Amino acid sequence: MNTLTDRYLAATLRSVPAPRRDEIATELRASIGDMIDDRTSGGADVTTAEREVLTELGNPDLLAARYADRRLQLLGPTYYLIWWRLMKLLLSLIPAIVGTIVTIVEVAEGKGFGAIGPGIVAAMQTGVQIAFWLTLTFVLIDRFQPTADLPDWTVDQLPDVPAHRDISLPETVASVVMLLVTIAYLPLQHYRSWVRDTDGDNIPVLEPALWSFWLPALIVVLAASVVFEIVKYRVGRWTWPLYGTKALLNLAFSVPVVWLALSDRLLNPALGERLSWLADADNRNTLGATIAVGVAVIMVWDLIDTALKTRRQTA
Amino acid sequence: MVSEDVLRTHLQELRRGTVVVASLVALRRPDYGYALLQRLTDHGFPVDANTLYPLLRRLEDQGLLTSEWNTEESRPRKFYRTSDEGESMLSRLLDDLAAVQTSITGLIQGVDR
Repeated sequence: MNTLTDRYLAATLRSVPAPRRDEIATELRASIGDMIDDRTSGGADVTTAEREVLTELGNPDLLAARYADRRLQLLGPTYYLIWWRLMKLLLSLIPAIVGTIVTIVEVAEGKGFGAIGPGIVAAMQTGVQIAFWLTLTFVLIDRFQPTADLPDWTVDQLPDVPAHRDISLPETVASVVMLLVTIAYLPLQHYRSWVRDTDGDNIPVLEPALWSFWLPALIVVLAASVVFEIVKYRVGRWTWPLYGTKALLNLAFSVPVVWLALSDRLLNPALGERLSWLADADNRNTLGATIAVGVAVIMVWDLIDTALKTRRQTA
Repeated sequence: MVSEDVLRTHLQELRRGTVVVASLVALRRPDYGYALLQRLTDHGFPVDANTLYPLLRRLEDQGLLTSEWNTEESRPRKFYRTSDEGESMLSRLLDDLAAVQTSITGLIQGVDR
């Protein structure tokens, strides 16, 4: 026997609890028979009637779920909100922390810009792992304890109305992280750059003589910028005094860099030993000019952009 | 202009609970799945087979229906009947249905148009 009805019954009963399987089978077979009879007595031929009846009964998995009173959802409303809150909380913190740590470790091992890739990959893997295990845990809880004594919501849990701020926390954190990475890079490139001389020793990218004054000075400016970002976040919006401070900090960083680049004192001349292209004075001048223009353009663009924001937010 | 989908959803919501009430009333006279389905349809309670058959089992599990196999006819059929428990539950449900109707009527008459 392998009629459509047999196949339909087998497909339905597959996921119905075993103790009632036979009874449901007998009853369902009779019901299908009744429905087919009803149609054939109206003049339809048996095969067509059978097809119609089974089509009307629909997907056997759905029917079985109704017999077994099984819910057709991964996670029910009891736990959905708490699951979603935890998900947002964990995903907003942990992948970023893991990614940052991996990046720092890779940088410490001298990978230079190559450290960013493993950091991003680690952050994404962490995110996927968190999402998977958290969801699995909640699905299991939902399956085996569908009625939970979760604490009732009270009005005391209402968060404060968000204060109006134009400077967002993610923006501030991103800026601070960028500044700290830059600060860390300056001493790091001296001891571990990706360039080595013929003896396998490290060649600093930046001119080592600059450590007598300019590089420490730049680090001080960058550290001041970190403080500035935090103050700016506390203030919550751009103001003209803040803009003035920002402009001074920008100039204090860019002007020395531009000047050093233009006068060919920024990069380590020893690099020329390994990178023959840099040994040529014309090429060095071109590179210096490119760096100078790049830094100047970024600074000017930043100042204009910030000025527009300040005008909008003080209006 | 109300969209057909929205209308269908609301009608479905409105009808959902009435299938249980209608079945409990109809099964004061014992009947088997498909015959019940036809009777309900004839009396203006169109219900899908794949909803009704599992529903009957659920009501039986809840003790609101009793069942008996009839093997005298050409194919064995399971006859359901409203139990005493089902009967007392039904009277509560019917009271509530009447209360809903009364409230709606009161609301309609109380509203200025």
